[in-house]
Amino acid sequence: MTINVHRRIYLIAKREVLRIATRPLYLFSMVIAPLFCYIFFTTLMWNGLPTDLPIGVVDLDNTSTTRNIIRNLDAFQQTKIVKHYDSFSAARKDMQKGNIYSFYLIPKGTTEKALASRQPTVSFYTNYSYLIAGSLLYKDQRTMSELAGGAIGRATLRAKGFTDDQAMAILQPIVIDSHALNNPWLNYSVYLSNTLIPGILMLLIFMTTIYSIGSELKQNTQKEWMGLANNSIYTALTGKMLPQTIIFFIMAVAYNMYLYGFLHYPCNSGIIPMLFMGLLLVVSSQAFGIFLFGSLTTMRYALSAAALWGVLSFSISGMSYPVMAMHPTLQGLAYLFPLRHYYLLYVNLALNGYPLIYAWESVVALLLFTLLPFIVIRHLNTVVTQYKYIP
Amino acid sequence: MGQLKDILREGFADTFYIWWEEIKNVFKDMGVLIFFIIVPLFYPLIYSFLYSNETVHDVPAAVVDNSHSSLSREFLRKVDATADIAIISHCSDMEEAELLMKETKVYGIILIPEDFSDNIARGEQAKVTIYSNMAGLLYYKAMLTATTNVSLDMNKKIKIERAGNTTNRQDEVSTTPLKYEDVSLYNPHNGFASFLIPAVLILIIQQTLLLGIGLAAGTARENNRFGDLIPMSSHYHGTMRIVLGKSMCYMMIYAIMAAYLVCVVPEIFGFVQVSQPFTLFVFMVPYILACIFFSMTCSIFIHHREACFLIFVCTSVPLLFISGISWPGTAIPPFWKVLSWIFPSTWGIRGFVAVNTMGATWSEIQEEYHILWLQTGIYFVTTCIVYRWQILSSERHLLDGESNKLG
Repeated sequence: MTINVHRRIYLIAKREVLRIATRPLYLFSMVIAPLFCYIFFTTLMWNGLPTDLPIGVVDLDNTSTTRNIIRNLDAFQQTKIVKHYDSFSAARKDMQKGNIYSFYLIPKGTTEKALASRQPTVSFYTNYSYLIAGSLLYKDQRTMSELAGGAIGRATLRAKGFTDDQAMAILQPIVIDSHALNNPWLNYSVYLSNTLIPGILMLLIFMTTIYSIGSELKQNTQKEWMGLANNSIYTALTGKMLPQTIIFFIMAVAYNMYLYGFLHYPCNSGIIPMLFMGLLLVVSSQAFGIFLFGSLTTMRYALSAAALWGVLSFSISGMSYPVMAMHPTLQGLAYLFPLRHYYLLYVNLALNGYPLIYAWESVVALLLFTLLPFIVIRHLNTVVTQYKYIP
Repeated sequence: MGQLKDILREGFADTFYIWWEEIKNVFKDMGVLIFFIIVPLFYPLIYSFLYSNETVHDVPAAVVDNSHSSLSREFLRKVDATADIAIISHCSDMEEAELLMKETKVYGIILIPEDFSDNIARGEQAKVTIYSNMAGLLYYKAMLTATTNVSLDMNKKIKIERAGNTTNRQDEVSTTPLKYEDVSLYNPHNGFASFLIPAVLILIIQQTLLLGIGLAAGTARENNRFGDLIPMSSHYHGTMRIVLGKSMCYMMIYAIMAAYLVCVVPEIFGFVQVSQPFTLFVFMVPYILACIFFSMTCSIFIHHREACFLIFVCTSVPLLFISGISWPGTAIPPFWKVLSWIFPSTWGIRGFVAVNTMGATWSEIQEEYHILWLQTGIYFVTTCIVYRWQILSSERHLLDGESNKLG
């Protein structure tokens, strides 16, 4: 009696479900680790923008005017004056200890000079080895200094009989009205979690795929596996991957629901296209995992390659540091990382809500990743049927 | 007295035996070598190369100039001249510019309204609107910085021109009574590499140790008849000699790798490196030790070679975020902050950034330094405990095996 392919795939899938269920490692890499990362990144950046960053003040002048400037600075949401220092070097030392991110230096005689129209200079020192904190503080301090200068100027002009609007037009003839499209809150979690989370999932899919194939060889069960598939590598792989595809797709749906449904991050394309992208992410990552195993044939090399590839993809995807600023060689290499394409699709769809046609190249790229196993499938067949596990 | 001397001599001999065995194991095992040697050698180079331009220049932008005046042209010319933005297209209307945005040919739009020049002439405030693609915050930063700087520059000029009869200097002072300067410390170009690479270098030490030691432990178990971590050999009977012998082997390898990571790599790429050699050396010792014992403790959970990949690899990114270098430490919620204290990398990164990038001296890194020694102590004890437990369980397996044979 012969059994048809569907039945075989079903039997292999059933066997795979059992393998997954009996090994805690799968539970960890398919469910616990992804869920942990979903929660981790979003709760870490829960506020979106860091608030109350500690800064210091060195007020060598110490008059009511300078105290007023300092009070205004403290009122900004992102800054919190935690300490006053009596010298520059004391403040610098505390900065090196990591207690403050920046400090404001008001030299002696500032008020006197301002009143005598001798244009004094105040300085702010920012520690840019903490880039995010530094950039945020810079913005506040700059606005503050503009306002402090403006306040004195406005008082002068008001005395001359100008209205506030007129005074502002005199002080700032040109103003910039900035629009951060689709993330007006400059929410860092929107900016980072939307790519970090799929990136982690991808990394775990690469490794789980390789591990699940490799462990057949390691446990010497490949004969049983291939036997169920009637020695067809296509049937064997389909049956083996199917349960994993389903579980990982559920995880992909979960983060989409969590980010766009629960946390209400911008999803201007609607959820359906993003779910499709989630499916594409899962399938292309699995295919990439199979490709790595098929071409490197040894589980530890394939896992090492997957780990390095996966971790590198966070940087090379361009999510934090734009690809256009990288060396041209790397701009080319970026195409070889599935996360790069997913990131472009996310920006196009969920963030900006543009029609999919503007990002068709990325869809094609991910589909090409899905076809990668066909290059190595014959070799993989040899590996599975003839090779022995090498530790 | 003589007995103690014998125990000590045997202990020393065994320690060096185990040390030598471990060195042989490491260099025989390609998987471990990848993590101990190849990854620390090449990964930092890739990362440094990635971020070597430090910051994004010439972000492509489109402009819609409805004013068509000499002032608007001056504004745009000045924006184009900045390092941040390159104007690549002049569009006739917003639809055209938006199309360029969708095609990702540009990452920002500068819109100058019709009344721009008239408003300035009338003494009213003129507004320039910018739109930025938020695919990355650096695009927004480039757009905002460039246009703000140009507007401040032009404002100054306009104010002086308006002043007319009085002296320029006097009028500038009356409208800008307070000047300010900003000084960026420790990262003069506000660059990405100088900010991220030091943290990555330190994290690589911990993560490769976790993976390498985990892999070695998994192999030891797989080669063992009972799946035990401790081989059945008379040399492996004392906890202290196993822990010391193995850690000595790792320490030797990582003394070299760490020197390469913290001295050579920044040198090659010309990153900020203002550390005092002695401070750096004294700081790195407890960091490497803490990482080694931390990894040895964690390796107890690894029962199969490959498991360590699935468990440890994906922790890298969260550990980088939790260290307080990218996401400001003060903005990390208390729960995650406390969790971050467990990992040597958190303290290692903070201390190293202070020493390497900010030129901190001995007295400024006391906290990190002492915590790392504390971690070294704690993880040394936990390593001893788990190894002791392993020795006992392997002895029990051996006994069970013997009695089965007899029975």
